[in-house]
Amino acid sequence: MRLVTLLVALLLGACEAPQPPLVVSGVEVTRPMPGRHMSAGYLVLTNNTGEDIRITGVTSPQFASVEIHETTIEGGISRMREIEELIVPASGSVTLERGGKHLMLMRARNVQESVTLHFMSGDMPALTVEYSFEEQ
Amino acid sequence: MNPRYILVAILLAATLAAGIFVALRLQNPAAPEFALVLPAPNKVPAFSLVDQHGKPADQSVFQGQWDLVFFGFTHCPDICPTTLQVLAAAKAALEEQGQSPLPRIVLVSVDPERDSPEIMAEYVSYFGDGNLGITGTLEEVSKLTSGLGIYFKKQPSDGNNYNVDHSAAVLLINPDGGFHALFSGPHIVDNYVNDLPIIMADN
Repeated sequence: MRLVTLLVALLLGACEAPQPPLVVSGVEVTRPMPGRHMSAGYLVLTNNTGEDIRITGVTSPQFASVEIHETTIEGGISRMREIEELIVPASGSVTLERGGKHLMLMRARNVQESVTLHFMSGDMPALTVEYSFEEQ
Repeated sequence: MNPRYILVAILLAATLAAGIFVALRLQNPAAPEFALVLPAPNKVPAFSLVDQHGKPADQSVFQGQWDLVFFGFTHCPDICPTTLQVLAAAKAALEEQGQSPLPRIVLVSVDPERDSPEIMAEYVSYFGDGNLGITGTLEEVSKLTSGLGIYFKKQPSDGNNYNVDHSAAVLLINPDGGFHALFSGPHIVDNYVNDLPIIMADN
């Protein structure tokens, strides 16, 4: 009986859909302000694999340039710096939030109702995110 | 012991505690919890800049109302809009509470090379009516910031896509044009809603 249970468990396990390696949640993209051509992007990336995932670049059809930035406040001074590589730790997550790491979306071109973000790991696409302003 | 005595003892103790509480409150009225109030307000230094309509703006713009002053720049997508949103939300909450007077929100550009009055006008109006934007020359902005202990520094970069490091603090300027109190980051709506009426009522 115990063996049967084990077999069933193994079979069920095998039937489960494999988890995607990289999952996004809590996406928020600010609309470019009137007269401005930049936005910020905030989200949480979760890594379901046993190895670090390195995000080396982000592109968007709606913005000519996307950079990963980090705002730090030290000694009362706010600084913003570009991060070359965003590491999503193995079986962990990284949060892009206000006043911390964030996407800086620059030179907006024709931003309508949605924004598409392509996350790259080296030359390989790691994740594509669709964000709609309307759903908010 | 007679239960009646216990009841009387409890009532007496409660009355005593309430009395001590009231006495402490009278002696020590509500104090701001988050803002640093200066022992004596510091006069805003003299400067010669322009507002978001291109009209001359000097130290006298800080006369006549309470001002919440933030130093930032419009090409800053994260901390600057977030801080201004917090200030706008705090002002709205205070208005809802019937607070009067309400502070004005002021953005002083630490990137006057890119922040023209037109850009400032669009930017500050995005965060509500009645806000003031101040820009002008780097030299005159520096007169204002250095007199208030505000730091800013343009970061080297190729081309027009540069960042400016700047103090994250929000200053409260009183209606006499005196630097009265300082809120250091992180900026949280409830902190402003709690402290501003106390500070403004005291003066």
